[in-house]
Amino acid sequence: MLHDFAYAAPTAKDEVFSLLAEHGTAAAVLSGGTDLLVNIRSGIARPDYVINLKGVSELAELSFDAGQGLSIGACVTVTKLLADATVRQKYPLLVSAASQLATHQLRNRATIVGNIVTASPCGDMSSPLLCYGAEVELASASGTRTVALQEFITGVKKTVIRPEEIVQRIIVPTTYVGGSGNYLKLKRIKGHDLGVVSVAMLTYATKIRVAIGSAAPTPLLLSEFPIDASAKTIKQAARAAISPIDDVRCTKEYRAFMVEEFIERLLAEVHA
Amino acid sequence: MRKIRLRINGDLYERDVRESKTLLHFLREDVGLTGTKEGCGAGECGACTVFMNGETVNSCLVLAVEADGADLQTIEGETAEDGSLSAVQQAFARHHAVQCGFCTPGMIMTVKDLLQRKPKPTREEVIHGIESNFCRCTGYQQIVEAVLDVTGQLPDSEKEGLKYV
Amino acid sequence: MYETIPADELKTVGRKSPRVDAYEKLTGHAPYVSDMVVSGMLYAAVKQSPHARARIRSIDTSRARELPGVRAVVTGAELDYRVGLYVVDKGILARDEVRHFGEAVAAVAADTLMIAQQAVRLIEVDYELLDPVLHPLKALEKDAPLVHPRLGDYSYMEAAFTPVPGTNIANHTKIRKGDVEKAFAEAEWIIERQYTNPSVQHVPMETHVAIVRWQPNDEVTIWSSAQSPFTLRNLFCTAMKLPHRNVRVIVPYVGGGFGGKAGIGIEPLVAVLSRLSGGRAVKLTASREQEFSLLPCRSQLTYRIKTGVSADGRITGQHMTMYWDSGAYADYAVNVTRASAYSAAGPYEIPNAWVDAYTIYTNKPFGTAYRGFGHVEFHWGIERHMDLVAKVIGMDPVEFRRRNTLKAGCRSLTGELIRENTGSVDKCLDAVCASINYGSLTKQEKERQKRTGMKIGKGVACFHKAPAMPPFTATAVILKMNEDGTVTANLALTDYGQGSYTAIGQIIAERLGFAVEKVKVAFDCDTDREPYDWQTVASKGLILSGNAAILAAEDLLARAYDVASQALRCNQIDLAHDGEKIYVKHHPESAVTFRQMAVGFAYPNGNGIGGPLIGVGRYIAQGLSHLDKATGQGNPALDWTYGAHGMIVEVNEKTGEYNILKVGSAFDVGKVVNPDSVRGQAIGGMMQGLGTAVCEGYIYDEAGHLLNPSFTDNKIPTSVDMPLEIECMVVETAQIDGPYGARGVGEHPMIGVAAALGNCLQQATEAEITHMPMRFEDVWRAIQKREPVDNWITKSPYGSCKSSPQVQGHHPELGC
Repeated sequence: MLHDFAYAAPTAKDEVFSLLAEHGTAAAVLSGGTDLLVNIRSGIARPDYVINLKGVSELAELSFDAGQGLSIGACVTVTKLLADATVRQKYPLLVSAASQLATHQLRNRATIVGNIVTASPCGDMSSPLLCYGAEVELASASGTRTVALQEFITGVKKTVIRPEEIVQRIIVPTTYVGGSGNYLKLKRIKGHDLGVVSVAMLTYATKIRVAIGSAAPTPLLLSEFPIDASAKTIKQAARAAISPIDDVRCTKEYRAFMVEEFIERLLAEVHA
Repeated sequence: MRKIRLRINGDLYERDVRESKTLLHFLREDVGLTGTKEGCGAGECGACTVFMNGETVNSCLVLAVEADGADLQTIEGETAEDGSLSAVQQAFARHHAVQCGFCTPGMIMTVKDLLQRKPKPTREEVIHGIESNFCRCTGYQQIVEAVLDVTGQLPDSEKEGLKYV
Repeated sequence: MYETIPADELKTVGRKSPRVDAYEKLTGHAPYVSDMVVSGMLYAAVKQSPHARARIRSIDTSRARELPGVRAVVTGAELDYRVGLYVVDKGILARDEVRHFGEAVAAVAADTLMIAQQAVRLIEVDYELLDPVLHPLKALEKDAPLVHPRLGDYSYMEAAFTPVPGTNIANHTKIRKGDVEKAFAEAEWIIERQYTNPSVQHVPMETHVAIVRWQPNDEVTIWSSAQSPFTLRNLFCTAMKLPHRNVRVIVPYVGGGFGGKAGIGIEPLVAVLSRLSGGRAVKLTASREQEFSLLPCRSQLTYRIKTGVSADGRITGQHMTMYWDSGAYADYAVNVTRASAYSAAGPYEIPNAWVDAYTIYTNKPFGTAYRGFGHVEFHWGIERHMDLVAKVIGMDPVEFRRRNTLKAGCRSLTGELIRENTGSVDKCLDAVCASINYGSLTKQEKERQKRTGMKIGKGVACFHKAPAMPPFTATAVILKMNEDGTVTANLALTDYGQGSYTAIGQIIAERLGFAVEKVKVAFDCDTDREPYDWQTVASKGLILSGNAAILAAEDLLARAYDVASQALRCNQIDLAHDGEKIYVKHHPESAVTFRQMAVGFAYPNGNGIGGPLIGVGRYIAQGLSHLDKATGQGNPALDWTYGAHGMIVEVNEKTGEYNILKVGSAFDVGKVVNPDSVRGQAIGGMMQGLGTAVCEGYIYDEAGHLLNPSFTDNKIPTSVDMPLEIECMVVETAQIDGPYGARGVGEHPMIGVAAALGNCLQQATEAEITHMPMRFEDVWRAIQKREPVDNWITKSPYGSCKSSPQVQGHHPELGC
């Protein structure tokens, strides 16, 4: 049972902004709802006002142009991303991670932007988007601003979003289009599970980009490696960057071990 | 409260609903369609799976107000007008793919969706296709067999099942 | 009840038959309590303790009571009742002291669930924190805080249990057979190890839910998602001091139970809320999270086994100590302890045995019955032990088992003589070895190893289990003929998914000689309408209710023959029947149909004879006895179902990741009544066993907070977690007193699965894992011989896992 809250389903961004301005931190933004409703049910979130973005048609846009790259609107679901031929062709690492995100039903509702905004260390989309150098576009009544994804997530469930802002889209530049990549995550069962620890690797021309989830308060992007970097080099960099914890899901020891194991496996795929 | 209009299993409904009510509770409490079950309320178990505008969703993670104008299908819409079972339901019956029955409505919805997306799924695809729905009783095997049988994919060698030694 | 009817002469029993409940469940029409609304119904919510142990200084309910829509608020201070299955140790709400995280301390009934939940948030409890006792072995120490200081004042079932007042021991069961010390002195090898498993959740898909209406005239109706309507009524009446006639328990369709709904749960709390609301019906539906802490779990077990083995690989003596962590209340755990004690050695002959099994109170959510009733837990120990002993003595683990399995002429731990018709462990073991090609790798498996770089291991585990029940357990079936000659059976054994009603229907059809379509087994158990059944537990339903069903069918036929002999004016001995009629054997055209006799036979002139045809079958377990409290000797077992699992697993030796390639399982079921139901139980149970083997388990912190009370961090297996291949086999050694030779197999498939997995992992990697579950990390640690994780938070054995001590194999002559 969810506590009572007021609800609005505006059809224009301006309405969203004025509602946010009015209700401030008492308002919560709903796009997919797969995190928000879980948090409301468990009492973690207690908004007085829920603003559904799905009525704003431009936020549901998923588009690509050769100059800017891929634009993923706030309401683009994981399923929509997975079904997109351009994404499948140009951003295979996004597809790899998105297809491992939760279940089919969840993917039909959950949004890519929501996965980032939740800012969980185990969010499946953060690492691949970091590899692609994604940027987050925030919007409010006073205009838009763009923040690199690394700077967007500042801590466990913390971002730079201001109360009057929404994330209106993620922009994935074309820099690494043509690259290939894969995403590996450790789960406790073979079925759907969050990533106990995860690694995304993207190789493009002369570079290898690696990002790691669930091994630090935020998803981590390692500094770029040359294409002929050895596993040892990458593992060393990873070891220096991560700060995993012990929790009910895993020990820090095994998390650290599996990060290196995944790096080896992903690198072996690159060389294969 | 907010007025919503939606279609469920072909029938039109117009109701005033509390903004905070989930689609699952709306179906079960306001409309009286209790075939859709609540197993966890947190999107983990799939028991509350229904079709919304042609896609399966966990109805526990959708607000009823979000379904304004939507077209829904629930387990109650699965049987024919005369009450006869659909091909998927018949296969479940044939293969004892039902035990306590609590996950069954959601499971049927998931299977129906899978077969719409992949009319002839392989065993592997069936197994991955029903991953979203917990079943604590059957161990899934007889459900997988039922789905394969619906599409004529169940090998003869597996039809006998129990082996006497 | 066994009738030597060749299989090919059986028309219904042993053949495929659709489930009687398929249509209702497949269409979503089957009504569960969670779906029900009763007129005027209120909704309840519960305030739970955030602490493992604390004194309740005060509870302020004033703000909750002032909330509009609240109809009743109750705290433990107002409830002077104690409830208990075997040891009467539990309040309806915590009084004075909370004993576990999640314990109910107050409750509200209100017009809506939202108001009730809001009211619960307004209740303020002032706690004085106390040091909890969390580990069962620490709870045994002299200065340990007592979970129940007044244990000596509690009433308990004296014939079966022995609480020790002044300690945390809720029960101590002893088994003494032969001379263990002498056996050890003469043994070639003595091997001692300790095995542990954590608490786990049953996870029925339908959470616990009850609706209760307690009218002002003290007539009470309870609708509950429960397994055992009569035991629920009995315990309720005892606790509330109400005559049984006043209380009616109705159980409609139940969305899974697995033992977690076997006894009494939330019903008394809902009942008092109803009474306080002036007799309005009240509904309480547990959330998934509440299933983990408000409601009971499966007990944690620490099992120490010391085994003496002769030079030729025979077990000469075995010393077994079980520490069952009951949590805050004894519930079923004392009987789990007792049942596990008398089965403790697994299906092996132990000429000299000594068992001490303790049920120990701690400040954790309490343990109850769970599919297998202790046998899943201790078979983890005993069947891992068999492999570890085999390794120490240098013998193949299957060969070591074969030398020691129970065979005709052996005696069980309680002195029961095993006979040919008891069943065959060996046949099950042989079947699973053949299924997995035990002992070597096939060509394909070798190629697979090469391809994947993973190591393939094969292992087995055997098991046995008898129903844990009072020796005089009874049931009844009433069979009523309908006007059209069809029949309806009433019984209070519940079918919460096992398929019992389908099997009972087949047995009735077989005995009547009717088509199965003519038999209805009625859902919705109602203690006002159904005849008595003790409980739906223990895999005893098929034997006891099946026999009662046969007797009911015979009774109904006898009454029909009586009427027919009058109507046809002949001796009964000259009559025979088919599915439609009773006829004179030598003049078959002289017949009277069942339809004509169903509600009384009428002569052409209107005179009537007979009356409605109703058959009654009563059955009570035969020849069982209490166990002697000092030695544990006696005859506790209605039947023993034997079985074995064989498993093939591939392991990544570097990371501990593994895949289960095949499980082959075999059970001596006596006689298959419904092959698809047997297979459903077999595979479903096996997968549930795999869940506890692979990923399930409660994890606590040092203060006793449960850290993973939801599906987010307490996973259960999905379809993707199925073994790649499953083979399901049956042996049919007829049970003489089973219906058509059948015996129970509901719980058994879950037993031994974890040990088979552990044995495969050991065979592949030498990893000696002695704790469950076996997460990839646990396997990794065991392979690397790193310090095992016992609990990821506390580094101490309060929770999920406990470490593996070194193998303590020593040679007595060498004095080490």
